[in-house]
Amino acid sequence: MKRLFCLCLFGILLLPSVTMAQDATQLFYRIRDKVKGVNDYVADVRIKLDVPFMKVPPMKGKLYFKNPDKMKLERQGGISILPRNSFNLTMNNLLPPGNVTVIDGGFDTIDHKRVRVIKVIPGSDTGDIVLTRICIDEARMLVLHTETTTRDNGTINMDLYYNSYVAYSLPDKVIFHINLKDYKLPKGVTMDYTGTDEDLVQKAKQARVKKGRVQIEYLHYTINTGLTDAFFTEKK
Amino acid sequence: MIALLRIELYKIFHRPRTYISFGIVAAIALVIQLAMLADGKNFIGFALQGVSEQFDIKGNVLNGYLITYLILQTLLIHIPLLVALVAGDALAGEASIGTLRLLLTKPITRPGLVLVKFTASVVYAMLLLIWLAIIALGLSVLLFGTGDMINLKSDAFVMLLKDDVLWRYFAAFAFAGIAMMCVAALALLLSVFADNSIGPIIGTMGIIIVLTIFSTLQLPIFDAISPYLFTTHMIGWKGFFDAPVPYDAITHSAIVLLVYTILFVATTIIVFNKKDIQS
Repeated sequence: MKRLFCLCLFGILLLPSVTMAQDATQLFYRIRDKVKGVNDYVADVRIKLDVPFMKVPPMKGKLYFKNPDKMKLERQGGISILPRNSFNLTMNNLLPPGNVTVIDGGFDTIDHKRVRVIKVIPGSDTGDIVLTRICIDEARMLVLHTETTTRDNGTINMDLYYNSYVAYSLPDKVIFHINLKDYKLPKGVTMDYTGTDEDLVQKAKQARVKKGRVQIEYLHYTINTGLTDAFFTEKK
Repeated sequence: MIALLRIELYKIFHRPRTYISFGIVAAIALVIQLAMLADGKNFIGFALQGVSEQFDIKGNVLNGYLITYLILQTLLIHIPLLVALVAGDALAGEASIGTLRLLLTKPITRPGLVLVKFTASVVYAMLLLIWLAIIALGLSVLLFGTGDMINLKSDAFVMLLKDDVLWRYFAAFAFAGIAMMCVAALALLLSVFADNSIGPIIGTMGIIIVLTIFSTLQLPIFDAISPYLFTTHMIGWKGFFDAPVPYDAITHSAIVLLVYTILFVATTIIVFNKKDIQS
């Protein structure tokens, strides 16, 4: 009798966490299915880089995306600069295909909003992503924040803001917070023109900050246009 | 005065060696352009190593604007040498062939002659810069097209939008004109002390090389004198390729160069006025 009581008590205590875990997995699959509804898109974007060692003006361009991981930025003959590994930029890559392990992370608050936290471990251990922590607005079924731990590129945080394209789970603005390595070239090679206050400010800033911010504003989307894989092939 | 300037220019542009300078500028620019056409991608890959570890950089990085910048950087030492070739010969050349005394028998003051020689040297330097602009900028844009320009500094990566580059080149060439005026004035000053042109030419180059080493070595021992050297300010043209453009620093550099130019020309006039011309 005593043993039966202990078993029941153990079962009662364990039941909520099992239910939560199932909910988290279901939530992940529902979010993934919603995101997968967009097969490809072309977006007019404005990119701002806030990196201590980079002086790059805001760039306008067209961002092409095709499910699951093809991405291309075109700037009408101009140079495009994006954080390395485009997986940073696609929700689809942060929501890995196939079987995954989903761990319930409880709840958190983003902008005074209660969000559900799940942690996703990809089924395959060959990719660069080791773990993704995803904060989800359950009412609107939108991902508001991700924290991705990678093998080679440190931890990348991503904030997503939605407005016009909520129905497709496509953000209007994405902000990446990235870790930076040192940038230094020998002065003998670059033969810098120094003596400017700006340079001194830059140096001081660089010495302190090892983090950068990349903001992508999606001004307009054209969804499911039928982009082909060949379109994303690099021109040699 | 104008007639004398015309004669001086005639003398400069009637010497075959004047055109060697134009040939050298064209040769250096063409060699760099051909090298970039053949193997530019590897060069860019190497130069952008520090940034491309962290960022994907795509598009026409190797465009005419970047190539022009590389050519200008390479010619930093060569152009003053070529300017010195003519300016260093201005007075010493006349002395070596024995025409200086004859020249001064004409109704012209010694300061007037110095100023005419200086002006002629400056005209030559400006034409050399215009030629450089045509060969470096014009031909590079023709061969490689235009695009956003990347400028790699020792501690910063600067990108300039395509539409925001061309005016910077015009400003940079104008600034280079001020720097070359200073070199011409120095060569003229050395020219007044010599009776053959080799000394002033080599002397000018020697001074520029040594002072450039002081300016670029960035050792604490040179920090105190570096801001006062004209060679530190000769690369002020690079400031136009920064963002934002450090106008205050560029203006300061231009003023330093002009002060040096005036100082060199004034010293030349004083020395030439007192000089006992024997040939």
